[in-house]
Amino acid sequence: MGQRDYNVILDRLPEAGSRPEVLFRQAGDGFLQVEYGAVPRFNLVDSFRVLTINNAVKAKKIKGLYETVPGLRTNLFHFDPEALSVRDLISAIKEEEEKLAQVEDIEFESRLILLPIAFEDSETKKAVEKYVREVRPDAPNVINGYNIEYMALCNGVTVEDIKRMVCGTEWYNSGNGFWPGGGFFWPLDPRCAIVVPKYNPPRTWTPEGTVGIGGPCLYVYPTPTGGGYQLFGRTIPIFQFAQKHPLFKESPTFFRAGDRIRFHEVSEEEVLYIYKHVHEETDYEYDITPGIFKVRDWLDFYTSEEVQRGYKELLAKQEAGTKIAPKV
Amino acid sequence: MLKIINGGIETVIEDWPGRIGYLDNGMSSSGAFDNVALGLANILVGNPPGEAGIEIAGGYFQAEFGIDTVISITGTDMKPTLNGEPVPMWEAVEVKKGDVVKFSHFGELGFRAYIGVAGGIDVPFYLGSKSTCLFGSYGGFEGRKLQKDDIIKFGKPYQALSALAGRKLKKEAIPRYSREWVLRAMPGPNTCPDYLTKEGMDYLYENSFKIQLNSNRSAVRLAEAKDLAFARPDGGVAGGHPSNVLDHAYAIRGTLNICGNTPILLIADGPTLGGYMNALQVIYADLWKVGQGTPGRDFVRFIYCTQEEAIQARKEQREWLSEKSLA
Repeated sequence: MGQRDYNVILDRLPEAGSRPEVLFRQAGDGFLQVEYGAVPRFNLVDSFRVLTINNAVKAKKIKGLYETVPGLRTNLFHFDPEALSVRDLISAIKEEEEKLAQVEDIEFESRLILLPIAFEDSETKKAVEKYVREVRPDAPNVINGYNIEYMALCNGVTVEDIKRMVCGTEWYNSGNGFWPGGGFFWPLDPRCAIVVPKYNPPRTWTPEGTVGIGGPCLYVYPTPTGGGYQLFGRTIPIFQFAQKHPLFKESPTFFRAGDRIRFHEVSEEEVLYIYKHVHEETDYEYDITPGIFKVRDWLDFYTSEEVQRGYKELLAKQEAGTKIAPKV
Repeated sequence: MLKIINGGIETVIEDWPGRIGYLDNGMSSSGAFDNVALGLANILVGNPPGEAGIEIAGGYFQAEFGIDTVISITGTDMKPTLNGEPVPMWEAVEVKKGDVVKFSHFGELGFRAYIGVAGGIDVPFYLGSKSTCLFGSYGGFEGRKLQKDDIIKFGKPYQALSALAGRKLKKEAIPRYSREWVLRAMPGPNTCPDYLTKEGMDYLYENSFKIQLNSNRSAVRLAEAKDLAFARPDGGVAGGHPSNVLDHAYAIRGTLNICGNTPILLIADGPTLGGYMNALQVIYADLWKVGQGTPGRDFVRFIYCTQEEAIQARKEQREWLSEKSLA
């Protein structure tokens, strides 16, 4: 047998301006992964860049490129290597990367979607009860039948603070994945950046529309499924297989990469009423405002003294909370 | 049409290459777990190799035909019978209205059997494919595995039935099954020097891994790789274990996901994004073997493959799944 070559970095672009180093990683005969930075970091700016380049490369309509899967700091390109060589694909991506010098200048389409949420609703409670009954009777993240008190403990804040933080920021979608129609949402206001560990072991069931959080990432469960995020409430449908409601006519999924969601608290009755008017009456009108996201404006907000001071205060509370909260 | 008498352990409608283009919506491709057995089943009954057929995992499937047609049975030898008489595999067989096909359990070698039907299976296309995604409950027949009293419709035969009956494969076209499935695999995207050490990568390529019982259409779990050597002490911002990464897309189908010390092949209905590293990728032309690996019994072994070899293998597979394979 010949020598095995484990160098999978097929090409790279050096760091330039606000662009981190770009690594082109081999991911099989039909996949290429593009990654920002040799050292992983959690920075939403990378995601803004991923989505911008993603749209530009897709607009080229390259023959043989099937699809792309943007992540927080990576993008996966799925292609037919008989129709498109990986070298040509890399060249096409590099061309767009070279064109985009300053991430601060990025502006992209971003819908703002308002979603009602019922905190500590009865469906979420059923999921948590089932977990305690069937998976882990001594789960330390379950307090009084929910996870929200544990979330508060971990972050050194009160339950009311958690609700305020969930509703107090816009949540930015870095791209869909894991499960059909699910988005990966991150807080745009760092003062609302709740961080929690995930379930250990995971759940076997989560009801449709349940809202959970794992690490700093918020997720709405599109359909009943397993999962590992801490659960705190239920929102309205974001997925419909049957495609009966006008919103789902084009696609059974709702969220798009780059969308923002903002929650507002309602009663459980209202959430149930809306379910009926999405799935049965199909006449519920979703609150969606088209818009443009300007990275420079966001950076001004993010780096402002007030926001950074509030963020530091939260980090201090989280550090204290982490010491007290039981490990999962 | 076909009336199901016993759906067996897990019988689903699948086509190939499945549902392509929805990974960024969290929807995996699904598709036949063994596209070679399905492809050959289709060739025998005059269908294009990607047409939808019936995939039987484990066994015990039983059904009655509602019309005269031509079928083929491929994959693992589940001792299929027609009206109680043994029915030959890997050839086109005439069936009459009222005939009953019955399967025992998976054979000495392999885990999945396929039924190809002239005209294929007539289920609605959902997002461009007839494949069932069991974990998402969509596609195929009502998004689920087949059960008693289901009525499965067939498509219009592509060729005259009289021309199909009795078609056989060349002997060399019948795939060889074993207890150890050798999968050609390319390294990446997370390898050495930054994620695993060279020894860690060598370990993956030099050992045989048993397929665990808790495997399914989403994930084929392999035996724990205790000696897998990571190149870093932890996952940094992504988490405590060195296998943790900030969520990235999974190259479905065929990526080897490293979850803690457990290597998991993410396959048909697998998750599209997640927070664990991926060390290597089974090449497209060898994905079919994963579908024949028997949980709790068989082993997989990875052998090194280059991009050029993988592309050549795609071409060879296309030739294989064509009428050139007919005797």
